[in-house]
Order: sequence, then structure tokens, then C-alpha cells
Amino acid sequence: MKMENIIEIKKVSYEYTEEERIFAAVKDINLNIERGSFTVILGHNGSGKSTLAKMLNGLKRPTFGDVIIDGINTKDEEKELEIKRKVGMVFQNPDNQLIASIVEEDVAFGPENLGLSPAEIRVRVDDALKSVGMYEFRKSTPHRLSGGQKQRIAIAGIIAMQPDCLVLDEPTAMLDPKGRAEIIDTLIKLNKEKNITVILITHYMEEAEKADRVVVMNDGEIIADGLPAEIFENVSLLKSVGLDVPQTTELLYALKQKGFRVKTNVISIKETAASIAAALGSEEK
Amino acid sequence: MNDAVKNVSFDINQGEIIGIIGHTGSGKSTLVQHLNGLLKPTEGTVLFENEDIWKNAKEIRKIRSKIGLVFQYPEYQLFEETVFADIAFGPKNMGLSGEELENCVTETASLIGIKEEYLQKSPFDLSGGEKRRVAIAGVMAMRPKVIVFDEPTAGLDPRGREEVMKIISDYRTATNATVIIISHSMEDMAALADRIIVMNKGELVLFDTPEKVFASAEALREIGLDVPIVTRVFAGLRAMGVAVSPNVFTVSQAVEALVQLKEGAADA
Amino acid sequence: MLKDITFGQYYESNSLLHRTDPRAKIVLMILLIVFIFLAKNLFALLFATACVGCIALISRVPFRLYIKNMKAILPVLIFTAVINLFYGDGGRILLEVWKLRITTGGIYNSVFMALRIVLLIFMSSVLTYTTTPNDLTDAIESLLSPLKFVGLKGAVHTLAMMMTIALRFIPTLIEEAEKIMNAQKARGADLESGGLVDRVKALIPILIPLLISSVRRAYELAEAMECRCYNGGEGKTRMKQMHLSNTDFLVSAAAIIMCAGIIILNILL
Repeated sequence: MKMENIIEIKKVSYEYTEEERIFAAVKDINLNIERGSFTVILGHNGSGKSTLAKMLNGLKRPTFGDVIIDGINTKDEEKELEIKRKVGMVFQNPDNQLIASIVEEDVAFGPENLGLSPAEIRVRVDDALKSVGMYEFRKSTPHRLSGGQKQRIAIAGIIAMQPDCLVLDEPTAMLDPKGRAEIIDTLIKLNKEKNITVILITHYMEEAEKADRVVVMNDGEIIADGLPAEIFENVSLLKSVGLDVPQTTELLYALKQKGFRVKTNVISIKETAASIAAALGSEEK
Repeated sequence: MNDAVKNVSFDINQGEIIGIIGHTGSGKSTLVQHLNGLLKPTEGTVLFENEDIWKNAKEIRKIRSKIGLVFQYPEYQLFEETVFADIAFGPKNMGLSGEELENCVTETASLIGIKEEYLQKSPFDLSGGEKRRVAIAGVMAMRPKVIVFDEPTAGLDPRGREEVMKIISDYRTATNATVIIISHSMEDMAALADRIIVMNKGELVLFDTPEKVFASAEALREIGLDVPIVTRVFAGLRAMGVAVSPNVFTVSQAVEALVQLKEGAADA
Repeated sequence: MLKDITFGQYYESNSLLHRTDPRAKIVLMILLIVFIFLAKNLFALLFATACVGCIALISRVPFRLYIKNMKAILPVLIFTAVINLFYGDGGRILLEVWKLRITTGGIYNSVFMALRIVLLIFMSSVLTYTTTPNDLTDAIESLLSPLKFVGLKGAVHTLAMMMTIALRFIPTLIEEAEKIMNAQKARGADLESGGLVDRVKALIPILIPLLISSVRRAYELAEAMECRCYNGGEGKTRMKQMHLSNTDFLVSAAAIIMCAGIIILNILL
């Protein structure tokens, strides 16, 4: 069965002018995102990944090429709101995305803008808060919550608009390890249970472990695209573009260079241990 | 009123690298603000070179130049028109001026690799990583004998993190300063720290060498922390019946241990 | 502390007044304050005082909290009382120093004015103790909504949005200001000593970073709002609907009776 594409990026470039010189943040990219998939886009700061993200819901429009969201070109200004509704966006700093000082009122902001009925908004807000595990905090004020909790509220605010696709631009960069884990778990749950297409942009490689697909960007171009295991195999490529390589990968990579016959395409601690044990075992034979 | 930090006692020796770990809200940040007198303890004393830092409350600003504190996301404190002026803010507050001030700033800049032509640029035109470097220089320019960092690499990409860690070690080599680092990364702590302070709910839970701290994996897990990833991999190996040491914390230690194991097996 | 502006002075309870519609509370408070100022004689004012006392009791807010608010305006209160002391005409002269004379009429005036101010503070405290700033914001927007029909639709919405964002960001900015202040202190900044000019100068290292970060936050917030389909309030609905209930009619009736009582005492005595 052929999967339907929710997003089609066709020969897209984005250029900007600075001090009278033209720079390209994104260079001639082609990329299709399947409905219901979980894609991770990896890239270091300045690789063009944030610019690409902002082109996915029309916050930025491509200089050349087309971005098609569920059949709608983002250049169609009349469909601007529809596109923003279909592709929800979550940013890095949770503090700067929350508008109201009561959690449930903040989550209601999107649906209110869509002009829904009060009863419908109430249902969506409660549902969205439950899906990110923040329902019991609905009456709290955001500034008393942790970074991870605030970021989950920001996600709930988008989910309440019932988007087809969720784009997150480095949502974990300002969080502590606990907050990071909360966000990744929430995203996996939303993808599996609500079938929301997730595009996670990050420079932490371990966040890509559970993804269906990993796209690596560098200098405005896509330099690798495949299954997580395929991408992680290529540690030297990831390191050369300044990405965060987890220590498990680092260890396996170092062992391989020392002549160990280890599988290097794993990330979790359990699989890493198994990979090393297997390599040691084959050595003894 | 709740105590953010309660009944904490420890001694730090000159030239040591101390790591402070603990999850968010464990009192780490409050603790370090007591070290340079930004906060005054409601009970107990903070001694610097055997003297109570609050002995002469009017002189507390002098203490702040001897015990430097670099806050989280320090780039947000930049305010001057040029990089030079911003780095000079601290030393100027200490009373330096003229040639002395100029030398201090240029020396600091060259020590941590800020190019000369950058000094006249506006700090706001720099990239995120460069801004942080300038902000750290602003504290280092006071030549503190003890320098405290609150999550110095937060929000940076791997390249940026490496650069910041290098600055810290360069400063230490040049001045033999004592370094205290708050971090979430057990891996960094394992690789860097001489001793580690573990905080939980405002109390000091453990204060020991990385070997001893990371040997208490259970105790750490109970307070929401963990041992370094490599240590966990080795625990997994032991569970599979591979005889490896529990005292392995860094990638290089792990590689060394496994190479020995492999060679041992080949010999046998 | 200002950090807790989300709840402002709000005192959590479930009294009759807490349950009253915030719009009704604002209108009735204004009405009562007007009538308190209409009270012409001491009896009318004493009646008003009794009414305000009852309202404060019904609010179930501890009395010390009202006293706390009163302390804050004590200087204004004393100033008003002293000024009015010398404005009394008539009555027996009690004391005469130079051109100033204190008469019984003056004392009456002074007590009268001071009591009015005390009642005014009490009334506004009742409102802020029983209503969250959020509810107040919504109520003000709702009360101003008739202005939409005279072509001020955008203005009403903008005002409400501004108040909402201010409530949300004031705690964040205060926290940030504290952080920056500590960071500059750690670089040896002297914020406490020196003359006025020195102190103002010492604020520059705090205000500039704060300003820069506020602009950055505003920019990011605008983008986030755009992503949540914000369109300047065009076609916007509200999750929370305010409905007048029996409680509101009961409270309104009570307030109108109080106002009537003041007028009757004004006329009769």
C-alpha cells in the first residue's frame, strides 16, 4: 500500500540578504513526509533545519520551489490559517509560547481563534491536556511549572487545534534530562495513539532512536535520509557535521576501530551491552 | 518558610574541580549563590581562605571578584556596545582602569581565544556560542581564584559544548583556579571532576570521588539521577555474565577495559 | 510579591462573593463607591460603614488582609485627614495657631473624609481578594464590549489581549530581572551605594539585557501566536462564558438596597 504524503517539499530553497550579500539557508531540498510517520530531522545550529521547519506551516515561504501541505501550496495566502491549523508548530523556549496565565485558558487560545463553540473548546482542551498528561494542572499558572511541563502545555495548545502534523523545533534544547524524556515520551504517544504526523527537529541523536525515519541536514542540504539504524551506522558522518552522538554509539564506534566486531547501529544501553557481549563471545570461539 | 538549602557542610581544596549534581529544584543553584555572597546564609558560615565571607558585609563585592560565578545562559547578561567594554565591566568594578584594565581585557580575550578584531564588535552581532564565550570572559577577567559555573554548556550544540569545556580547562591551567561546575551530565562529571557533590531537596547527599559516588547507583536512582551511560552498559554486560569492572565511567576507560579483556581471552 | 500576579491579591475561598460574576462585582463596587461619596451626613456614612463591614464578613477573607491594604495607604489617609482638619467651617474653635484654626467642624470633616477613604479601600480590596486578575480581565473586556458597536471593536480586543499577556509575562520578566541583577552583581556591579545619578547609571547593565530579552520574547511570542491561528481576534470565540446566575441577582439586590439606605438616611436626617 502506498502511503499518502502529508507534506511535499519540492526543490525548495530559502535565501536571505545580509549586508547586501545573499545567503541560502536551505538549498534545493526535496522531501516528502508520509501521513502518520515520525520523522526526526538532525542538524547542528545553522544547518538550515529551523528555516526548513518554518517553511512547513507558512511562517516562511520558500524563495524557490514549493511546499505542499495536504494538497495546499503554502504560497496560497488565502489558505494561510488552514495551513497553520493543519501543521502545528512548537518552539524551543516554552516560556515564549504560552499566552495566558492559566493553563487551560492557554490551551484554549488556538481553538478560540478557530471560532469553535465554547462546549467544543472545553472538550478539546480537556482532551489535549489529558493526552500530554497535564490535565491535573489545568488550573495552575505556567510560571510555577517545570520546563518540561510548560513545553507539554505548549504541545497541548497545538493538539487542541487538532492538527494533522506536529512540527517541533528543538523542543528539548532548554530542558533538563527529565524534561527531555517527558517530551519524547509524549511525542511517541501522540504519534502512536492519535496518529499525528510528528516532525522533530533536534541535534540530539538519541532522540531519533524511536523514529520511523531520520533526515540529516548540513549547510542547508539533506546529507542523509533513512531508518535510524542505517543513519546511526554512519557515526563518522554524524560527527563530521557536529551532531550529538550518544556515548553508547561513541563507545561502539571506538571499539570497532580497535578491531571489535560490534554492531554499531544501536543506541539503547541494553542493545549496546548485547552488541559488545556478542562481539566478545565471537572472539572466544 | 521553606529552606532552599539546609545544613550543608563541605570543604573544597585549592585547585580542585568539583562537580555538583542534582535534579532541577534540588538546591544546587541556591547553594552556589551562597558561595560568592549573592545570598547570605540564614544559618551557618561560608569560609573563603579561612575567613567568613560575611565578616565585613561592606566588602562583599570584593569576595565576588575572588569567587566568580557564571550563571546559566550567561550571554543574556551582555549589555555593552563592544565586546571589549563588556569584558571590562567586571575588572572596572574592581577598580582597574587605564592600561591595567586594557591589559587585563586583552589577556583574558587571548587566553580564551577571542580574536583581537572581535573586541571592537558589538556582542549582539556574535553567534550564540561566541556570545557565551564573551560572557564567560567577563567573569574570568576578574581573575577569580574560584570560578563557579551553573550549567555552562546548556543549550549549546556539541561544538559549542566542547569549546566551553576547553575555555574552562584553559583558564584553570593558566591560573590554577578552583573550578566548581553544576551539570546534568554524569558523563561530563565522570570525565572532569575530582570530587562530586550530590544534592537532593536542599541537602547534601554525597560528597566524594566519582568512583565512590557512581558506585552508589541505587542511591542516585532514588533521587532521580543515574550513573554515566558507560557504567550502565557495563552493568548490562555483567548481567550477561561478562566479567567487567563496575568502576568504569568514561568511554576511554571502557575501551581500555574491553581491549584488555579481549586480549586476555585471546591469550587464554 | 509581584511574582504571584497571576493570583494577584486573590484569596482562595468559596464565599458568596467569590461565586458572584466578576462583571457584576465591578459594576456593584463602582455603584457602592459612588453612593459612599454621596453620603452627606454621619448617619448615612455609618450605615455605609456597617454595610461595607457586612460585605467584608461575607467575603470570608481574613480581616488582617484588609488591614494590610489599609496600612499601605496610611500616609494618604493621614494626609487627607490633616488637610481636612483645617477646612472645617463652623463649630467651636478648639485651637488656634497663627492662621490655622481647628474647629469641631474640622474634626468632623476630617473623620468623615478619612472614613470615606477607608471604605473605598475596603470595597476595592473586596473585589481584588475575591476575583482573580484573569477574571477581572475577562470582565473588563466583557463590560467594554458595547464599545464594539461604536467602531472600537479592535481596541477592546487589543486591550484585553494586552492585559492577558501582561499578566502572563510580568512574573517571567521579574524573575529574569532578578537573574540579570544577580549576574551583574557577580561581576562586581554596585547597585546599592552612591548618589541618585550613580544608582540610575548602575541600572543600565540590568535594563539593557532586560530590554533585549523582552524584544526577543515578544518576537517569539508573536510567531507562536501566529502558529496558533491568531488573527487579531477576528471571529474569535471564548471557552469560558459568563452567565448571570441567581447569586448575581441576589448580590445586586442587596447592593441596591444599601445604596437606597444611604439616600434615605441622607434625606431623613
